[in-house]
Amino acid sequence: MFRTMPKIVQLTAYSGLAVVVGLSSAWYMVDRGSRLTTARSGPWSVWYRAGNPDADPYTRAHFARQGRLPVTTTSALYYTANRDDEGDRLTSECDYSIEGKPLDAAWWSIAAYRSSGRLIPNKASRYAFSNRDVARGADGRFSIVLSAEPSPGNWLPTIDSDQFQIMLRIYGPRSSRDASGERRTDAQLPSIKRISCS
Amino acid sequence: MKISWYAVTLALLVAGIIHIIAVLGIPQIAPRNAWTRLTTLADVNTLVVLPQPSPAQLILHMMAPDMRYAICRFDLTRGPVRISTRIPDELWTIAFYDSSGTNFYTISGGDIKREKIEIIVSTQSNALLDDETSALIDSEDSLVVNSPNDLGLVMIRAPLAGSSYADRTERALHRASCGRILPGAQVAR
Repeated sequence: MFRTMPKIVQLTAYSGLAVVVGLSSAWYMVDRGSRLTTARSGPWSVWYRAGNPDADPYTRAHFARQGRLPVTTTSALYYTANRDDEGDRLTSECDYSIEGKPLDAAWWSIAAYRSSGRLIPNKASRYAFSNRDVARGADGRFSIVLSAEPSPGNWLPTIDSDQFQIMLRIYGPRSSRDASGERRTDAQLPSIKRISCS
Repeated sequence: MKISWYAVTLALLVAGIIHIIAVLGIPQIAPRNAWTRLTTLADVNTLVVLPQPSPAQLILHMMAPDMRYAICRFDLTRGPVRISTRIPDELWTIAFYDSSGTNFYTISGGDIKREKIEIIVSTQSNALLDDETSALIDSEDSLVVNSPNDLGLVMIRAPLAGSSYADRTERALHRASCGRILPGAQVAR
């Protein structure tokens, strides 16, 4: 009996190792993505085969787990960011400014969500800005302020949301019509600058 | 305990198998799978306009607050299904998914270049429509889409051209339809 114990312990340890390594690596690659599935540009990350009929199993699993139904990348691109340009987590304790040039697309929209993927409640009922309703300068550049306190101009409230994330949807991305296109769109992505923290 | 490299290699091999099974299995078993959420909203072969995304009500994860959505879960076991809608804006997108959420076909308003469209969804097995069904299809505006499975869903996305467009966009979505092609039925105009 005692002679067999170490073998049982060993078997348990190796089985545990297999389960932990197998599941945690699967979780990481499905939740966060890897170089195989996502492209990063500054704070933005995009699953570049999202919604494609030939999407890899990681991309399929990522969107199935979230319960999202993305359209193909030739029709729309979904960029998400949960960090600012400096790499710090976005939090409602700080104010941010999203600044960018006009994006070459039929429609684009920037929305803020809680980490859980829900919209952030606010009295102004303002959850997003699109190219149709964002106020822009004469040169076409725009600046959206994310803050808990009201701000003049394009204000996207981030009240009591603790950590939050931003999604930039680009519909009809004109520069992504060809296979390698998404990299060219990257150059136009807006920056996320931290203004101040309370 | 002495480390056996043979056992470690074997454990990593098993870890690899577990990794593959987990990744491939997620779309089938994911509890938050879009299909599962949408089954409670409406019957199959019926088009529903989803409520406006808000903090209190968000049917799917990270839906766009400045977009309006309509969905129809289709079941092709008893024959093809027809989706017909007007396309008031070239920003509209019609996307087809299988029941695991894989997008197998997408068409955008810009590609359609017509005011209205009729899409017939069928499986390979009922791709060859019988004469009676064919007679009911308005061929000029229609498009046939082959679905890989009997079950799937179609989602019409209507990005708002501005917040003042919300009402008229919702009304346009309510006018869209989805249903089985029934012999003797009138072609939707």
